[in-house]
Amino acid sequence: MNLPIEILLALLVWGTFVGIDLVSLPQMMIARPLVAGAIAGTILGDIPTGLKLGVMFELLQYDILPVGAVRYPEYGPATVAAVATAHASAGVLGLGLGALVGIVTGLIGGITINLLRRLNSTIVHAAAAALESGDPKALVRVHVGGLLRDAARAALVTATGLFLAWLARPLLAGALTTRGATLLAVAAIAAALAAGAAGTLRLVGRGPNLAWFGAGLGAGLLVAWLR
Amino acid sequence: MAAVKPSLARALLRLFAVQGSYNYERMLGVGVGVAEEPLLRDLDEVQYRQAVARGAHFFNAHPYLIGLAVGAAARAEHDGASPDQVERLREALCGPLGSVGDRLVWAGWLPFLSGLTLVAIALGAGWVAVAAFLIVYNVGHVALRWWALRAGWTHGARVSVALHHPFLQRAGAVLAPAMAFTIGAALPLSTQYLAWPFEASARITLAIVAGLAFLALRWPRAAGHLNGLRLTLGLAAVALVVALVWP
Repeated sequence: MNLPIEILLALLVWGTFVGIDLVSLPQMMIARPLVAGAIAGTILGDIPTGLKLGVMFELLQYDILPVGAVRYPEYGPATVAAVATAHASAGVLGLGLGALVGIVTGLIGGITINLLRRLNSTIVHAAAAALESGDPKALVRVHVGGLLRDAARAALVTATGLFLAWLARPLLAGALTTRGATLLAVAAIAAALAAGAAGTLRLVGRGPNLAWFGAGLGAGLLVAWLR
Repeated sequence: MAAVKPSLARALLRLFAVQGSYNYERMLGVGVGVAEEPLLRDLDEVQYRQAVARGAHFFNAHPYLIGLAVGAAARAEHDGASPDQVERLREALCGPLGSVGDRLVWAGWLPFLSGLTLVAIALGAGWVAVAAFLIVYNVGHVALRWWALRAGWTHGARVSVALHHPFLQRAGAVLAPAMAFTIGAALPLSTQYLAWPFEASARITLAIVAGLAFLALRWPRAAGHLNGLRLTLGLAAVALVVALVWP
């Protein structure tokens, strides 16, 4: 991946916004892979690749229900890194390498979210006396500190993803034949489809909504067959 | 009341960052305290400081509905509720606000619109579908945050009235089947969209691997151990090794 510095910076800034949006500010869902991928594709002048990886990671996102303090991978900056990887390699090879880089970045992102929450806990614990005194300045300071740390975390995760994207092409692209690249892409897409279906079924449950899911599946199959 | 409106607007703006200092000790408590603070400024100094400190205690709920607790607690402080009553009000709201919000947004509005967007992209709508998703989703998102804050501020300690609002009940009842239907439709269309560049043999392999992977994820013994991330990492690793060993 050899991209002009201004494109890399734009991706880094976009990935940072995406990372902050997931939890901290403002949760307007630019962190959804569909959005993160489409805009990353726009930055790279390659919207189709952005949409394709956006769809793949959006399916993986269905595996996650972000309730309570549940731990989950972070697929927003991961999708940005995946699109940057795929853009550098044409066709199926790009799809497979992009998915690989994205999934590793998502894993790293999830770990950093957990670490940040632990760090925030320590800082909040240390500031307990100031918080209990009702000092509004201390309250805002602790809160804004958390926001800034999340921004730094998101930037770090995106930068790591873009570094992996930069590594992927020289390390893997030359070593993979067309068949190997196809196999990698097939594995990633199959896993995304399976995770999407299994995650949705967990949401749907065994009640009457299962019939609606079946009806939707039938309608989707029909439309796909007619196209 | 007119003097409160700018405070409500400030509280609303702060609510967008309510999870900014998410931590395992107070969860969203610090963010809740920050959002509530503008609504407490016209209390006297002692009451103000005590209320700000209470506002930052442990709290966890759905972030879009948390305004209900922020508004209700601030109103209760203004109405002269005792510290115990305010704490009990906050405790009582954690569970319901979490479950209603999760059902309405994380398991309803969001996956429903996401599924629709997947369908639209698969049918060729391109980036327009993504833009429509962002706009429509956020109309609902911002409206819900604003409604929650206003309802909390209006009802104060009797905020449970707002939680039983017929709209919340109806929306939940409509969104669940709509979500199930759209994602059901999105799965085969997304498969077709993603598999488009592949040859026939690769498509057959994709169908078999996806089917086996789905069964693995649904296997009761795998519950708690296997998730989408681990599965994808595992399958990608196997594919990579096979591709490098058997080029």
